[in-house]
Amino acid sequence: MATYDNKIWLLKNIRDAFIATDDTGLCEIVMAGEDFSKIFQIKGLEEKKRIKEARALQPGTSKIREGGDSCEDFEREIITQFEPYPDIDESEDEDPLGSSYVRYEEFGGYRQRSNTSQWLDKKEQALKKAAKIKVIKWEDSSPLSKEQCMELFPTVEVKPPEKQKSLLAQQLENCPDLPHRQYLEYGKFDGTAQLGLQTKCFKIFMTMLSEKHQNYPLVVCVIASAKIKDLIGFTCYKYSIEHPEISLGSVHEYGLCIAEDDGEVDWAFPCLDANEPCSKFGFTCLGLIELKNKKSFNSPPIPMPDDGHVFHLFPKMTDSGQSHNNPSRHNTGGSQTSEAVISALRAVNEEKKSSEDANLEKIQCHIMATEAPQYKSYKVQLLRKVRTNTSVQLGISLDRIEIEPLVTHKHVFWSNSRSKYFLHSIESVAWCQILETRGYRTTFRIVYSPSQKNNSALDKNASEHAGYSHLHTTYKYHDFESDHETAKEIVEKVNTILDLLNSSCRREYKISKEKKSQTRRSFHTKHLS
Amino acid sequence: MAGDTTASLGGSQVALVTGGYDHTIKLWQAHSGVCLRTMQHPDSQVNSLEISPTSMVAAAGFQHIRLYDLSSANPDPVTTFEDISKNVSRVGFQKNGTWMYTGGEDCTARIWDPRAAPRTRCQKIFQVQAPVNAVMLHPDQSQIMVGDQSGIIHIWDLKTDQNEQLIPEAEASIQDIAIDPAGKMMAAVNNKGNCYVWSLSGQPPHPVPKKHITAHSKYALRCKFSPDSTMLVTTSGDCSAKIWRTSDWALLRELRRDTQRWVWDAAFTLDSRFLFTGSSDSYARLWNIERGTLEREYCGHQKAITALAFKDQPV
Repeated sequence: MATYDNKIWLLKNIRDAFIATDDTGLCEIVMAGEDFSKIFQIKGLEEKKRIKEARALQPGTSKIREGGDSCEDFEREIITQFEPYPDIDESEDEDPLGSSYVRYEEFGGYRQRSNTSQWLDKKEQALKKAAKIKVIKWEDSSPLSKEQCMELFPTVEVKPPEKQKSLLAQQLENCPDLPHRQYLEYGKFDGTAQLGLQTKCFKIFMTMLSEKHQNYPLVVCVIASAKIKDLIGFTCYKYSIEHPEISLGSVHEYGLCIAEDDGEVDWAFPCLDANEPCSKFGFTCLGLIELKNKKSFNSPPIPMPDDGHVFHLFPKMTDSGQSHNNPSRHNTGGSQTSEAVISALRAVNEEKKSSEDANLEKIQCHIMATEAPQYKSYKVQLLRKVRTNTSVQLGISLDRIEIEPLVTHKHVFWSNSRSKYFLHSIESVAWCQILETRGYRTTFRIVYSPSQKNNSALDKNASEHAGYSHLHTTYKYHDFESDHETAKEIVEKVNTILDLLNSSCRREYKISKEKKSQTRRSFHTKHLS
Repeated sequence: MAGDTTASLGGSQVALVTGGYDHTIKLWQAHSGVCLRTMQHPDSQVNSLEISPTSMVAAAGFQHIRLYDLSSANPDPVTTFEDISKNVSRVGFQKNGTWMYTGGEDCTARIWDPRAAPRTRCQKIFQVQAPVNAVMLHPDQSQIMVGDQSGIIHIWDLKTDQNEQLIPEAEASIQDIAIDPAGKMMAAVNNKGNCYVWSLSGQPPHPVPKKHITAHSKYALRCKFSPDSTMLVTTSGDCSAKIWRTSDWALLRELRRDTQRWVWDAAFTLDSRFLFTGSSDSYARLWNIERGTLEREYCGHQKAITALAFKDQPV
């Protein structure tokens, strides 16, 4: 049996024996690979030759040279590391290999059992089960005699029942507000002992608990039609029953992610859609995770134009960039936006909706990076030096940043004259940062270069500034105000895009900024010394 | 799981069992609302459940009665009673559990001896003309009230095999019969929603009409006296259970819930302070009678609950 430890022997055996015993498909891997037994044999021969030559050169081993006949015998005695099995060729037809076909099966080979044997097994189990059940059949026996009846059915004196205490009432009084109470409604998704209903079993790792509580997965069985959110609820229900000392949060605070057998959650995938039935998913190992900062992550969906056109996201050659100052532009043109675009938008929104539950910090960054180039608009306050702040819609996409005043129709006249529509090509945007946080508001700044417009084919305003030279770059900025979360998201989004493009404008701005700080530093050091 | 739960939630258990159209019987931890165990009742709905003095639960279904052991973890029955041609609609036990009685759609009421042959079989059959909906053993253990679909209540004397007939209302099927634990009152409900009450006196007890209540606007399904005989509950297809005070037959409580559907069965706690109900909305509920509040909901069945049984003593 020692030969089973021999990898090369095994590989060889698989090669030789695959047809007879293997239906696992493993032999194909071995067959497709190189024939190691041959390679090793060749290597072994080479090694032997080398050793022989080396020994021949050694002065002390004169015996060999003397007895030329014993040379071949001696060769056999040299055993190299490539010798898998002494005399592998000779032994091929002998017993150890020959009988191994049989042994192979009983030892490691696992052949799929036939339907008949499985059916027989089931039958046997049913019989065993039935054997344990006592069956009492109704027999039409001769009626009992009057004496027997008198004896068997005596009249019992009816005593008025005493007042009894209820054990349940006592238990209800003593019953604390058990943690599982909030999940009780999920009890109906229990799939154990269901008859005639499809069920599904999952191994669930409670990844949000401390490490000592997540060594073992919780095995839950639910009916197949249960949705993922029901599965989450049922998991909480089962866990809180088994571990009443651990308090879990609301069902909405958790999500289910795909996990490995060992409980390692695969963070590359978002949580399973809470509204999908669990029968849809083939995974059996899942990790229950906590959804953090749900609020901050709830990004509004991409605005869907009701009348079928999408404003600057998909500009058409004919009307792109026209009438920037015209607040009514939403209603002009754009009717040709294809269904495909709208359906694409819808798909994006759908995706967003479904990933709403997957609000994890870990995947947040990932999503931020992939979503950053997508167009998104925010409602923020544009800060002005002279006039009052105006609320604007700040739209950010991969190629532009637009600031559109939000006006109610009442004040169209005023706002037309007062607030302006800005459109900056992303090439002209140099910097974006948070300035300060005060109370519940955060101000942030977007720095742009008004002269950096010659590259921008999108911006029609460019013409008036076309003459400016790069050397005289001046920077202007817009300051905005919004709540923390929005400000944070905008700054992150803009910076992700800027980093992605790394435009010349941004590079120049960075350089000039560095220079400035250097001069400031040198100024400081001068003064200090 | 059952073992774990019992251990973690502690203490001796009272037994609440429910069954219905989803072919399962569930054992609940009544105070926490957790389902401890699910037993399988293949091929048939559960028409009636009763817990024996030996902590066995009997489930009446189509063509058989099955006995399950509540004190073990066995999901399968330990005994089945067979050779019945139709549905068994009600099941009950003699006080000490020495025999079991049933009524069924094959127009019979039967006495079964759970002990195996060849002992003297305590076995009896009572044939009537219409499918039997209700059987109720008098607390003196020697008379069984058999209610059938033709509207007749047969008072079957087990000792003499003689019977007496009562017809409270023509052309109305008797749905259920109840006798109070003191053996002083008998009540029956019919498919018109009417409830009839008799007082029982004499030896053997003889019923004297006492009261007629128009209990429900629809089909009545069950009636039961409270252990202290002060209340009678009637359940109905009008989605409610009503509790009547036996002293003046006034309506004490109407237990209703928006989501509740037909209320098929009910059971009092020993102190007559709480009531369990089982409904077609697949929920069993625990009510505080005094306050009329819903205390617990038992959620786990996939389909309607049509039978429940409760034993307010440690199992």
